[in-house]
Amino acid sequence: MNSHAYDFSMHSMLRRLGAGVLLAVGLLGAATAQTPPLYTRWINYTPANGFPAGEVYSVAIQGAKVWAGTEHGLALIENGQVQKVFTRDDGLAGYAVMSVAVDHATGAVWVGALGGLSRYSGGKFTHYTVLSSGLANDLVYNVAVRGHYVWAATAAGVSRLNIWTHTWRIYSVLGQPSAPFKEPWAYALSIGPHKAYMGLWGGGVVTYDLRQHTWRPYLDPDGSAEIVLYRNQGLISNMVSSLAHGPQSNTFWAGTYFGLSGYDGTRWHNYLRQDSGLASNFINGVTLEGRRVWAATQRGLCEFDPATHIWVTYRPANWRALDSGSAARLGRGEILITDPHGRQRKLETASSIAHNYILSLAFQGRDIWVATAAGLSHGFASPSRRIHYDDQNRLQPHARPAYARH
Amino acid sequence: MKFVTKTQSNRIVRWAAGALAGMAMAVSVVPAGAQSAACVPRPSRARLEAMRYANMPAQAFPFGRYIKPYALWYVQPDTLAYDGAARSLPTPDWRKLPAINLGFLGPLQPEYANAAYGMAMLRGAELALAEANAHGGYHGKPFALKIHNDKPLWGASAIEIVRMRYRQQVWGMLGSVNGASTHIALRAALKIQLPIVDTATTDPTVTETRIPWLLHNFPDDRQQGYALADYIFNHLHLQHVAILRVNARYGRLGDKVFFNTARRLGAQPSVVVKFAPYETNFTRPLRELQRLGMDGLVLWANARQAGLIVRQMRAMGMHQPVFGSSRVAYPALLKTAGASADGLVAVSAIDPTRLSAKWLRFRLRYTRRFHTAPDAYAAYAYDGMNMLITAIRQAGLNRARIMGALKHYALHSYRGVSGTAFFDYTLNNIAPVTMARVEKGHFIYWPERRSDWRANTWPGCLAAAGR
Repeated sequence: MNSHAYDFSMHSMLRRLGAGVLLAVGLLGAATAQTPPLYTRWINYTPANGFPAGEVYSVAIQGAKVWAGTEHGLALIENGQVQKVFTRDDGLAGYAVMSVAVDHATGAVWVGALGGLSRYSGGKFTHYTVLSSGLANDLVYNVAVRGHYVWAATAAGVSRLNIWTHTWRIYSVLGQPSAPFKEPWAYALSIGPHKAYMGLWGGGVVTYDLRQHTWRPYLDPDGSAEIVLYRNQGLISNMVSSLAHGPQSNTFWAGTYFGLSGYDGTRWHNYLRQDSGLASNFINGVTLEGRRVWAATQRGLCEFDPATHIWVTYRPANWRALDSGSAARLGRGEILITDPHGRQRKLETASSIAHNYILSLAFQGRDIWVATAAGLSHGFASPSRRIHYDDQNRLQPHARPAYARH
Repeated sequence: MKFVTKTQSNRIVRWAAGALAGMAMAVSVVPAGAQSAACVPRPSRARLEAMRYANMPAQAFPFGRYIKPYALWYVQPDTLAYDGAARSLPTPDWRKLPAINLGFLGPLQPEYANAAYGMAMLRGAELALAEANAHGGYHGKPFALKIHNDKPLWGASAIEIVRMRYRQQVWGMLGSVNGASTHIALRAALKIQLPIVDTATTDPTVTETRIPWLLHNFPDDRQQGYALADYIFNHLHLQHVAILRVNARYGRLGDKVFFNTARRLGAQPSVVVKFAPYETNFTRPLRELQRLGMDGLVLWANARQAGLIVRQMRAMGMHQPVFGSSRVAYPALLKTAGASADGLVAVSAIDPTRLSAKWLRFRLRYTRRFHTAPDAYAAYAYDGMNMLITAIRQAGLNRARIMGALKHYALHSYRGVSGTAFFDYTLNNIAPVTMARVEKGHFIYWPERRSDWRANTWPGCLAAAGR
């Protein structure tokens, strides 16, 4: 694969401009298209500006408010400032906050932590633990709100709370009736209007039809953790860490530590680092935005367009130095674009996402918020900065100067 | 089929000679206790690519007869790659700490079936800790063990690891016997960045998650299943075996490896029968097995239940050979089954009769301190705790760097009191296991000699085979 880091000196610009003109003449008449806007500017929230230290596990948007689940509590950001960090001293149920979900109907914020589930409303926390409620386990990895139901993925199954009746239901191998879980550990949830998608650790993906009350499991068809038999064999691994469902009721994407799996209702589409622009097979989170798939990997934030098969990865330019534990400081950012033919273009930006180890993300209008291992990053898209590709989805080299000005 | 063909025998001799020469050269330690890659040549890239995960028999490779898989896992050096930020976290001033806390999670309630293993594990860990403290601890600060009971109630121990990490500020932990508890701890460890040295579970899936926070040194069900399958089908040439196993995760995972291996070797077990964890009367399943007919019976059970099964089996006039998993090879089997156990062959995690000076000294110190003889769980916990302590001494008080030090064991050996471990890229011990046969009320041990054995990692494996 061909990768190239850019410098933006005047000499280089002029040289590229000349080459670009020649190429443009050569390609005159060829159809071109362009990617969605690239995120070229980042503001990071770290201990330097009052944000908790350590990993940021999750992020959720509530209008202008941004809630971040961190290793040391729940942080609230508003108007570009860290307004408050809620810890156990403030009444938070657990230590590390794994997941945050907003109930847009009531304004309540639901917090899944290693220690239980909490509801923050009216300035107060209400706790739900194994001993005090129908929560299946106190290790809550994911929480989701849909209608008047709150769903929690725990280390012993999925719990669902009806907030109107305050009744609980547990979906697990030990539940009544039992769910067809190969393993009981639930880690990922994505709740659609008609289906609940559950990602199980070692148990693949299980969907629950909310109207028919029927289950459908999706498992690694080769049944062997040590191999992927065929590329698009089915779910790539049973160890599912994250899930996102599509607009159609039977489509979803599953993030695993063994690559990315997408199901379009008929076929599977699997992506590994070795056969695509996926930065790492170790995926902590997956999110859908329109048709685009975002994968939070340990080697960068990946955006994938299933229509063009073009991948865009965001990470610090010096990410390898950051990982080494050396005293490397965050510098410029890197955008790596990979086309379906394996060709790569690398761009640099003046600012960078806080770390390459990405855990989750959320969108606030056109902005993106990214939870990383070393802070929360706020990314701004530049509508004029896109990358061009031809009708074969090949990257167009002469398109580079379009955002080289940045 | 011969046990070892002439070609294989020659190959083993050649490799063993090379391995012994290499082992003799191995002096430096990276980390202490792990044999340096500089001393024994690393395997070539071609050999790495040809590695069979977990040293599985070639015939046992899934779909191996039909197709080459699109992708392989666990045989790449970056299997447990960690690209997070925890290595950059500041190191606390150890002078201000009263002690260097380490966690322990194991079943300790006497009424729990696995409590005997948990107690042995605890004793082994405590002995290692006491000896480390006698040798100066960490810069003069003592190591302190924070003991947590792994409760038998499903998921009840889940929060223990979180308490260890946040309330007690432990720097690493040992645990547990139960595969499910270990999985729950492991998944939490990824989030809270806590190194786990697992010294007791036989669950082969705990090292198959790619979560880079665990090292496992107890022989798992893969190693046990492969060894048993080889012995039964390639050495004894049995064809129609049945499996009788406990209806718990322990039995389920063990049965799966053995069953799949047997099937791929062309000897699919005729039937798998399960029994409840606290069952004592096995007449009904045995009668069913008698009716179906079998050449041999494989047990995945604890020693006491295995003893009852063998005794009841012989009383029913069933004289087929019986084989067992590592939890069968315990004195409780001999006590329960009496003379009926004669001829039973089981996998053993250690050879307690070997004359290794390291083992003998450990056994003496352990017996003096606890007034009981050490078993496999004690030995592996002792070794695991020593590995963890060594890693902390090398890396300092940074959890990611401690785990990084443990990762140096990948493709390296560790000579401990339990024997010579060899770790693959998943940080799982894939050294050959020990076999045990009951003869006149005693266990007779010998090292596993897989007839299809291939030094598919590097010579250290073969050296371990001859431990």
